[in-house]
Amino acid sequence: MSSVDPIITIRHANKFFGDFQALTDVSLHIDRGEKVVIIGPSGSGKSTLLRTINYLEPIDSGEIIIDGHALTAPNQDINQVRAEVGMVFQSFNLFRHKNVLDNLTLAPIKLKKEPRAQAETRCMELLRKVGMDDKAKSYPIQLSGGQQQRVAIARALAMTPKIMLFDEPTSALDPEMIGEVLEVMTVLALEGMTMAVVTHEMGFAREVADTIVFMDEGQIVETAAPEQFFTNPKNPRAQRFLEQIL
Amino acid sequence: MESEKKTIDIGDGAAIPNPDDPGLFTAWRIAFFGTLGIIAYLLIVHPDPYLEIIKFLPDGIVVTFKVTIASICLALVLGLVAGLGRISHNRAYNLIASTYIEVIRGIPLLVQLFYIYFALGRIVKVPDMIAAIIAMGICYGAYMGEVFRAGIKSIDQGQTEASLSLGFNRTQTMRYVVLPQAWRTILPPVGNEFIALLKDTSLVSIIAVSDILRRGREYASESFLYFETYTLIALIYLTITLILSKLLSIMESRVSHYEQR
Ligand SMILES: Nc1ncnc2c1ncn2[C@@H]1O[C@H](COP(=O)(O)OP(=O)(O)OP(=O)(O)O)[C@@H](O)[C@H]1O
Ligand SMILES: [Mg+2]
Repeated sequence: MSSVDPIITIRHANKFFGDFQALTDVSLHIDRGEKVVIIGPSGSGKSTLLRTINYLEPIDSGEIIIDGHALTAPNQDINQVRAEVGMVFQSFNLFRHKNVLDNLTLAPIKLKKEPRAQAETRCMELLRKVGMDDKAKSYPIQLSGGQQQRVAIARALAMTPKIMLFDEPTSALDPEMIGEVLEVMTVLALEGMTMAVVTHEMGFAREVADTIVFMDEGQIVETAAPEQFFTNPKNPRAQRFLEQIL
Repeated sequence: MESEKKTIDIGDGAAIPNPDDPGLFTAWRIAFFGTLGIIAYLLIVHPDPYLEIIKFLPDGIVVTFKVTIASICLALVLGLVAGLGRISHNRAYNLIASTYIEVIRGIPLLVQLFYIYFALGRIVKVPDMIAAIIAMGICYGAYMGEVFRAGIKSIDQGQTEASLSLGFNRTQTMRYVVLPQAWRTILPPVGNEFIALLKDTSLVSIIAVSDILRRGREYASESFLYFETYTLIALIYLTITLILSKLLSIMESRVSHYEQR
């Protein structure tokens, strides 16, 4: 696969949990502005792959380069790289002791030393964007799942990341709330954000993805454009997977 | 020294009155007002000797509080350091913290008190009260370490991951995300330890610190009014711990209200 302007390059990554190999020789390029949707059966290593990209799980061998910074380089400041990679979790993980606005402003104020007033104005704008500005003073526990997830997306955006990672952002939501979150993600995609998304929402994948990555047993077994992948998958395991879910 | 038969059983401070537990709530009232009633009765009906005894004690009460508060501050600092050590990925730090906790918890407080007082006394001359505070602080720090560890562990791992993914390092994550949430879990057991510590300060009377008990003993040995003196001392300890456990229960209900909002 040729890459014009890769912002993420993963080369021959291997990851073990004890004796169990969760990622096997994974290589992947993500270009600036590209939207990659990662799909695959449960336990295939999708979450692990995303988590290695911001070093929540260090890889055991191979190489991960984020916007020119090799995560495995000896003197690399991991925290700085992480600040450029936003992550949205299945379980939202909003800071429970902070209200919505403070969830967004905490990192910019503490890490970038952004003046509070400026951070608050900017973050209110982000909240407006995800339709949560009227809940700025609410605590996470007072919000629905869909609302929490929209706030979590805004919180990640508050650090102005270059890439956004989503690990099954709608899997913990009641069906009627899935739409509002996918909508926010679609807008983000249209604005040109680089995104890597693990999801079971095939409609979203079809509509938004530039590239579908299919994983099975810790390997990337197929990488294809959505039309091709959904109509004519090459890999037999991908064929079987699609038959099961569609 | 029959009053020193106290065992070194530190986990329990006092029963915390809880509105959800009407039995305990009523018991607290009976105990509290009963205690005040008895004290009032003794002072009014038998001013001689009880009024004389009680005049002798305020200095001791102040000392008891000083030792308690200073020790708890030291214990909180040591406990935080030890608790963080117990969950640290740094092998050496973890080992030192775990060893501290294991060793200290295996030695009775009274023995530690003697040890620090006499052993330390061979090297440097420390004032009695300082020796007492150091010993109490070190001992309770070990218990506090386990409280902190449990409190930190009770916070969902997702909170830490979200914080790391925003670019916070581990220390900042502790400071801004985990500890501010953990203190709600930690507060009740810390309050409990505080009460337990206050009671255990009675041990420091042995190493020449003039706390309530020692003041009482001084009075008793001069006047031979052992029974009367120790009765009053017991009632005073009871009053203090009952008030503290009430305060603690009020604080706890505030915290849980805040959490539910
Ligand atoms: N911390 C860990 N320790 C041990 N094994 C792990 C750990 N994390 C993941 N694994 C294992 O690695 C494999 C891949 O897990 P991963 O969570 O990446 O799968 P996934 O594709 O995201 O699955 P799902 O769709 O269920 O979320 C699984 O077999 C899982 O049990
Ligand atoms: Mg997963």
